Parts: sequence; structure tokens; C-alpha cells
Amino acid sequence: MSEETAPAMLVILRHAPHDSSWLREGLDVALVAAAFGQRVTLLFLGDGVEALRPGQSAGALGQKGTHPTLDMLAMYDIEDIRVDRDSLERRGLTPDALGWTAAPVDVESLPALIAGSAAVFNF
Amino acid sequence: MQNAPLRYAVVVQGGPYSHQAAHSALRFARAVIAAGHRLQTVFFYHDGVYNASRLAAPPQDEPQLREGWQALASEHGCELLVCIAAALRRGLIDEGEAARHGKPAHSLEAPFVLTGLGQLVQAAVDHDRLVTFSP
Amino acid sequence: MLLHLLNRSPASSQVPQDALRAMGAHDRLLLIESAVYGAVAPQADLYAALEGRCFALREDLVSRGLVEHCAPWIAMVDMAEFVDLTAQTQRTVSWY
Repeated sequence: MSEETAPAMLVILRHAPHDSSWLREGLDVALVAAAFGQRVTLLFLGDGVEALRPGQSAGALGQKGTHPTLDMLAMYDIEDIRVDRDSLERRGLTPDALGWTAAPVDVESLPALIAGSAAVFNF
Repeated sequence: MQNAPLRYAVVVQGGPYSHQAAHSALRFARAVIAAGHRLQTVFFYHDGVYNASRLAAPPQDEPQLREGWQALASEHGCELLVCIAAALRRGLIDEGEAARHGKPAHSLEAPFVLTGLGQLVQAAVDHDRLVTFSP
Repeated sequence: MLLHLLNRSPASSQVPQDALRAMGAHDRLLLIESAVYGAVAPQADLYAALEGRCFALREDLVSRGLVEHCAPWIAMVDMAEFVDLTAQTQRTVSWY
């Protein structure tokens, strides 16, 4: 299989920034996988879509948040970024309103995205 | 079971005695071995790194989780890998890292091994199955 | 065919609905830990369409006093059968 057609590793991010370390730790897995030469697809789902909301900042105590990491994804060759359309709608968000470019995934194509990946990390 | 033995990785993301995840993971790990499969790797991430503490002193009448993990290593050759980034933040530190960071004690020792996230990615690539238990 | 491993109940979390949306037509679902509260009526209705591919871990039903109340369309499995499910499916995805 060529590099283009080989299935990517899918990292699903389902937790909001700041609340917990899940989002950061999930992103860390994605960055390390990419650094190890894996093709990586990121999927923001559930509360994870809050990570894409514009206007985030560091925490009051100086907690870094995850928005600086999202700015670095291209440097790690993580270009395939998807977002669950249903999760956006539940939160009053649209793809155009996000702070980062993410391709919306409809409910019809969600199972195939997960089944077709080389591995799935669900954070 | 008829099928060929598979190589398993188990990922533990729950702390001991605070959520069922670590207990479920240990039960599952033993069942993997009992079924004739090979449990090659247990990877501790997120709060799962607390399972590796050599200083934990649970009551005698509760499940001895740490001894359970150790037995998987000593009796079945399973690797017990602890994410170093998640561990150091939470005070799980081996003798070498304690010296390097000027800490007065260490809380992690063999058979638990501090390692990078690359090992988790590798486990997903080269094991037949990877099963995650989370809080 | 994938195995989806779920430890949240529908009454307390949106995660079961997310897991269901992510499931393919032949994928299997295994309820463990607090997810087994969802194996009991009326929460179990959420899984009625999954008859034949929805399972609940017996030891978690037993410890929670639910073993007599598991919905008929959800099959109880023990730990050995849990391992078999992970072996029979291509991959396991955990929802928590």
C-alpha cells in the first residue's frame, strides 16, 4: 500500500480544554504518533469540539491550555482534522465558527472513519 | 478456545482504589493469559500511572493491585510501561529521575519502567489487540 | 467488525449515545462497570436495536445487584467471554 492510501491512526478527542488533562494527553499521543512517522487523523467529538472554539486563553493560574498545541499540528504533519457535525450542532457551533479548520463528519460516515483507521485512540 | 494466540496490550488510565478501571484492567489481563493469549504489554497513562507507586499501602483486606501487576511481569513476562510525562507530573519517579531532578526519594521501581508515549503508539502498531480501561 | 467497550450509563452521560453513533452495522457493544446500569429497563431501551450484538459483563451486573434485571436483548458474558469478544473482533474502542 502506498503512503497515501495506507490507513491513518485515528485519535478521537472527546474532552474539553482546561477541565482535565484528557485533551492534552490525547493530543500528546497524536503528536508522538506523528513524530514516529504515523499518519494521524484527529477527530473532535462530544465535548472535544470545545477545543476548536476561538478566543481561548491560558488559565487564571497560568495553565497553558491546548490552543497553542492546535497551532502546531501542521508542523507535525497532522493535517487531517475532522469534527463531528452532530456534536457541533448540539453546542450551537458551525464549522465556519471554529478557530481552526476542521472537516465536518456526518453521522453516516462516522462508523466508516473509525472502522477504516489503522488504530484508534479514544480520549 | 480454538483460535491462534494473540498478542495483547492493555492500557490502564485509571488510578488504583479511586475508580474500577484499574481493577477491570487487571481482571481482564489475567483472563487474557488464562485464555492462552500472550499479554505482552501493560501501558499506564493518565492517572493509571499511580498503579506503579511502590509506596502505596492499601489495607490488607482490599485487592492488592500493585502485587497483581507485578505478578504479570514476574510470572508471564509482561512489560509494565509507565508514561514518563504523565508519571513525573504526578510524583511517580524512579531512582534515576529522582537523582536527576534532585528529589529526596523515588516512588517507582522495577518491574515498572518509565518510558515514552512512543511505546504506546508502537503497541498499537505491533500488538494484535490493544484494550483500554479508563475512569 | 469492532468491539465498543462502554463504561457509562445513558442516564448519567451522553457518552453512550456517542458510542452508538460511532458503531458500524455489525459492530458489537459491551457494557462494563457503570454502563451495566444501562442494561436495565427503561435505560436498556437504548440498546434494543442491538439485539445479538449487545453484551454486559456479568460480574459487574452481579456486584451492582442487577443480574436479575438485565434486559433480554442484552447477553451476559463472563471475563473469559469478554476476552473472546476482543479476539473475535478486529479492534476494541473504549468509550468512557
